[in-house]
Amino acid sequence: MQPDETLLRLEAVQKRFGGLVVLNNIDIAVGPNELIGLIGPNGAGKSTLFNLITAIYAPTRGRIRFRDQDITGIAPHRISRLGIARTFQLVRTFLTMTAFENVMVGAVYGAGGRVKHATEAANAALELVGLTARRDIRTAHMTLSERRMLEIARAVASEPALLLLDEPMAGLNPTEIQRMVDVIRRVRAEKGVSMLWVEHKVDAIMKVCGRVIVLDHGEKIADGAPREITQNRKVIEAYLGEPAA
Amino acid sequence: MSARMLNWIAALGVAALALAAFLPGAVDSYAFSFLFFVFLYAIMAQAWNLVAGFGGQVSLGNHAFFGLGAYTTAILWSGNYLWGSLYDAYPRIYYFDPVTMALGGLVAALAAVIIGLPLLSKLRGDYFALGTLGFGEIVKVVLINGGDFTGGAFGVVAPAGTFDTLLPHYLVGLGLMVGVALALRLLMRSRYGLALIAVRDDEMAASANGIDTLKVKVAAFAGSAFIAGVAGSLYTYYIFHVGPDSVFDLNWMLLPLMMTVVGGTGTLFGPILGAFVMYAVFDLARIAVPDYHPVISGLTIILAMLFLPKGLMRVRGRRVA
Ligand SMILES: Nc1ncnc2c1ncn2[C@@H]1O[C@H](COP(=O)(O)OP(=O)(O)O)[C@@H](O)[C@H]1O
Ligand SMILES: [Mg+2]
Repeated sequence: MQPDETLLRLEAVQKRFGGLVVLNNIDIAVGPNELIGLIGPNGAGKSTLFNLITAIYAPTRGRIRFRDQDITGIAPHRISRLGIARTFQLVRTFLTMTAFENVMVGAVYGAGGRVKHATEAANAALELVGLTARRDIRTAHMTLSERRMLEIARAVASEPALLLLDEPMAGLNPTEIQRMVDVIRRVRAEKGVSMLWVEHKVDAIMKVCGRVIVLDHGEKIADGAPREITQNRKVIEAYLGEPAA
Repeated sequence: MSARMLNWIAALGVAALALAAFLPGAVDSYAFSFLFFVFLYAIMAQAWNLVAGFGGQVSLGNHAFFGLGAYTTAILWSGNYLWGSLYDAYPRIYYFDPVTMALGGLVAALAAVIIGLPLLSKLRGDYFALGTLGFGEIVKVVLINGGDFTGGAFGVVAPAGTFDTLLPHYLVGLGLMVGVALALRLLMRSRYGLALIAVRDDEMAASANGIDTLKVKVAAFAGSAFIAGVAGSLYTYYIFHVGPDSVFDLNWMLLPLMMTVVGGTGTLFGPILGAFVMYAVFDLARIAVPDYHPVISGLTIILAMLFLPKGLMRVRGRRVA
């Protein structure tokens, strides 16, 4: 990978909440059209990492670059307009809106405030996640699985270069999980979007992702192909606990 | 009831109200001034609904914007700051003058931007609610201490003395109520309305999807203030004497709030319907049992909350008509 092709680059990023260091010295580079799994035990700092990239929090140290632009400390809506979209671990859809209106928000504002072609982009995104038939249903009346799909459609409609998925499979049943895997694959194949994908279901990550990053207690302990990760001593210890001394 | 039917009923209602003004004896009837106040409150209720119902930001300072609009009108008029020698030629030039009324709205909107920027950049809504309440008190104190310009504790008297009929008040009030409703309807169907609902529903998701949430909230607050300022201006043409206790009365904020909640927060017709119903209740209560008026209106509100938790319009959200 050429350095100038790098989409997202985290450089020595740290996040402290008061005295608690939640992320420390994190370096991550994401290239074009990569699908990267991000795993780690509960509380490892995965969601916080997403919150730093999307500027919900500012890092206490380090820089975040997107396409050679320093985006550290700029406003969340500008990050979105630059081409970084995300979903939330606890789903955040606009509950009084219909599915279509939800996706329109991404299609209009996420894509930089456009007027033209927003409707087409919104309809195409709903089609991509299989929600076309639910287009005019209010989000409050949708199932969890549908809302997770809707969040992805809203993100896709903003035509991002990078998509951050925070546990999109949490709370879904096996059929819905299979559908989610299909959607994630399709988004990558059809839209050429790079993805960082946080997931508890490690087996799904290992099967689908070309590269996996492991966080533990706020440190990056591994970064490589799934095969290397499953054999990494530090990763095994993080998941099974410290071996008895 | 379908949205289309609702629109027809509303259009017929407006036509009936406009025609009724020209029935013999209508102008002198009690119903006439009653309806003028209903229109005034319906405008105020719609103003509050814009920022709180559609925008989700509970403002407790809309009486201050009403008062600012009223003062602006009275000051421009009594000092003849706008029309110079034209005023001598046309002594009624300030009556319902669109420029004067718009300036009343603009002064209020400007104040809303100045106060809204710091208050709305906090993520938590209760700061905003308390801040706007405090703002109302501050504006009142500033105007009391404004010297000759604002007339101190007495206020400003518009040099009127030429009003012999309520007909223009009634028609301007009706026109503004309908105009605001149509403007809000357009707004809520636009891209801006989409952003406003997004911010109300989930601010974090809105900003993660490219919406400048501070800008949207401040704009809604300023829009609400503009409408309230115009209403204050309209009131000046009725009351002439604009004083700190009359136009900064908390009721100019509380009653429209109650009317909106009873009629249906975040709906287009709710605030208007609420203004008709609640103003009738308040007025009847005042006539029937003067001493118990606050108790009766309070009871009405509690009953409405119990049996119509989403207001008379029943359904929350902008999809209703
Ligand atoms: N706003 C916050 N204030 C204080 N601590 C926080 C905050 N957000 C997250 N944390 C802490 O940071 C750690 C990492 O949390 P998180 O990023 O949600 O982990 P993960 O997503 O990997 O499960 C946890 O210990 C959590 O309690
Ligand atoms: Mg998490």
